[in-house]
Amino acid sequence: MNLEKTLFDAYGFTSFRPGQKEVIEKILVGQDVIALLPTGMGKSMCYQLPAHLLEGSVLIVSPLLSLMQDQVAQLKKMGEKSVTALNSFLDPAERSNVLNNLNNYRFIFISPEMLVQPYIKSRLRDIRISLLVADEAHCISQWGFDFRPDYLRIAEILPVLGHPKVLALTATATAKVTEEIKKYLDLSDPYVYTHPMDRKNIAYDIRKFTNGNEKLEWLKSFVSANRGPGIIYAGTRKKSQELSGLLNLAGIRTAFYHGGMEHQDRIFVQQQFQNGELEWVCSTNAFGMGVHIPDISHVIHYQVPTSIEGYVQEVGRAGRDGSPALATLLYAAGDEELLDSLVLDDLPTENEIREIYRNADEGPQLVEQGIVRETSMRVITYWKNHLTEQETIYQIEQQKIEKMKQSAKIRKLIFLESCIREYLMECFDQQLQNKPANCCVKDGLNYNKFLKRRESRAVALSDTWENRLNAILPC
Amino acid sequence: MLFEDILIIILKAVDGERTVSSPYHLLKGKKSGQTIQDIGYYKLHPYFGILPKLEKKVYDKAVQKLFDKGFIIPDGQVVRMSEKSLAYQPTAPSVNGWKYRGNEQVFMARLSLIVQTLSHIHQNHRVFDPVVIADDVQQWVKSYLHRMDYRNEESCRNLKAEIAGSLSKAEVDDSAKKIVLQRLSGYKVGGLTWEQIAAIENKEVIDIRLQAIEALHTWMGIIETEDYPLLKVLLDGLIQKSSLTETARRTESYFKNGRSLEEIAALRGLKTSTIEDHFVELAMNDPGFDILAFMGGALYSKIIAASRSQNTKRLRDIKEIVPEASYFQIRLALATKGEIK
Repeated sequence: MNLEKTLFDAYGFTSFRPGQKEVIEKILVGQDVIALLPTGMGKSMCYQLPAHLLEGSVLIVSPLLSLMQDQVAQLKKMGEKSVTALNSFLDPAERSNVLNNLNNYRFIFISPEMLVQPYIKSRLRDIRISLLVADEAHCISQWGFDFRPDYLRIAEILPVLGHPKVLALTATATAKVTEEIKKYLDLSDPYVYTHPMDRKNIAYDIRKFTNGNEKLEWLKSFVSANRGPGIIYAGTRKKSQELSGLLNLAGIRTAFYHGGMEHQDRIFVQQQFQNGELEWVCSTNAFGMGVHIPDISHVIHYQVPTSIEGYVQEVGRAGRDGSPALATLLYAAGDEELLDSLVLDDLPTENEIREIYRNADEGPQLVEQGIVRETSMRVITYWKNHLTEQETIYQIEQQKIEKMKQSAKIRKLIFLESCIREYLMECFDQQLQNKPANCCVKDGLNYNKFLKRRESRAVALSDTWENRLNAILPC
Repeated sequence: MLFEDILIIILKAVDGERTVSSPYHLLKGKKSGQTIQDIGYYKLHPYFGILPKLEKKVYDKAVQKLFDKGFIIPDGQVVRMSEKSLAYQPTAPSVNGWKYRGNEQVFMARLSLIVQTLSHIHQNHRVFDPVVIADDVQQWVKSYLHRMDYRNEESCRNLKAEIAGSLSKAEVDDSAKKIVLQRLSGYKVGGLTWEQIAAIENKEVIDIRLQAIEALHTWMGIIETEDYPLLKVLLDGLIQKSSLTETARRTESYFKNGRSLEEIAALRGLKTSTIEDHFVELAMNDPGFDILAFMGGALYSKIIAASRSQNTKRLRDIKEIVPEASYFQIRLALATKGEIK
């Protein structure tokens, strides 16, 4: 079979990107696959192409609603028409329409909690699923930075579907997480493809300041002097808003972006960024998915990231076009205190666990009253079905220890004396093969490579509604 | 400012007879008997459901401001207007919540996607990220575009001319029209977030949102009544045909088939109090509704007289004067606004 020809016929591409062909070949001969491919390396092609060659539908489990929406949009953009998404946003009429025509879809996206609903399960049993894709498969790991208990339910559906072939995709996984993916997805002898984590065109910088004010002043002068496109990651929604406000005042074209904004507004920020109307986006880690800008030349972490995996994923959004990009991590004395609270804030507290266990069926109400946070409710509700209260407390305690290990790794990064690139690779159990010339601040950096002088460009703010109408529709 | 004005208008209407959170339910479009009934009593139709996603904390902040400024005074369970606010006469915004029921958002979603598509196609860009991802809107727009022959430049010009023509006729501030246009996007022209517009205009986000709703309601009114064939299609299915809620309409059809209140409750598996709410809604909206099926003419007159003499619509006050009437009967009588001879 000529895979290149199929690729060209279906999507008009003449060649595969590294890793895609190996993964696809294994899927086609019927082997389970775990593929570790960095963000932006065309992960989705690994199931798109097999969908054209295998009989039946491909079922893709996706952890985040926004991510799922983006994937559906991307597939449609590539000309795939036979795509649907089963998630809690569908209204009953839409949902029954989709379910009644399920076997007509080549790609079915589904959220993990939908996967185990009895009715949906039975509909899925009735159709032929040739491949189950666990996207962002690291979410299955209890020790990972992005654990989603619902993901453990994927294993429950496999026998129902008659054990289809499984493709687990992730951009970030340590050896430990890969083992867990194997275990929980019940993959006895999978082919594991590991793409080198290293991105040669990204250089690493870490800057330390004695206080927050100095850090802010540095940021202002840096973004004033340098052109984007660039992302400034802030630790919290509030901080992203604050930074964007300050930079706007300094005359820099920037906006904030976070998960608390309505969908339309988030699209608008993406549009502006893509159009070059914005040079910098101040954002939480919500920004990135769904943003397809190949020439991002800067990723700045204004606050210390909470895990190495998250850090590498965010940095990986720079320089997708292969041109030089700079990742700058900013640290002010005392930031690590914030780090601990950020890391541990995500975890349910003992009190929340007790509330959920002792109040039967009142989870949503506890959330409404502000006694239990929504994320905590999701996690605890899952464990409640599997463990006793004491066991859950122990479980969360263990996760806390794991998270502390992660923040220790971040701390080590900040105060590292040796090569940053080498250290990041080590965290993923990989070894650095060869160092690029412009590697990291520890090896000396030539900043001229990525620092483009900023052009002054006035923003075309239409003064009247009539003018804006003309700008949008010049016909 | 706009939001504050709307709160003052609503609180003035219910002065001293409702709690401070009643405007919140009204603006959110809560379909409870109490809210639906208040709309009729106090003629608050325009404000029903104009802010379905209004956050309690935003509302509370605005109300607190009214307290701080001395516009409203707490009085036990209810709030009263101060001298200051009675002297203040805000202009009523041109919104029509009861009629549009939040559907201006659907209108806007359709328009956004149509405009974005035309903008790209006619500047030779076939592939773009759609601003609206909802499947139903996408399907709707797809079939609309095919019917209008969207690849033809003439069609694009026609639609643009209709937008420009109808919008300039809408009697609403130019700044509000500009907000609507800022929420549209096209090739190389990104839409603006609510926060960005608010920052440029130096206003609160909620006021910007309300201005947009005001512009859309006014504009939709023009499109509906005048000759704009390309835009008129965008209103398909968005204008409330009956002024009743769906559930009240079902109760009405049972009633017309001769069922009693209790029978309807049993048939529909609803509480009798819910069915009572429906009857109040019917009495409010249908001039032909025969409330004398529920009470004698004498009792009706007594209730109306009590309401007028005490200048109140509070059920408890009226019940004290006419103890023989049930709360349901009082609500029914009030719903007719005393217009039955």
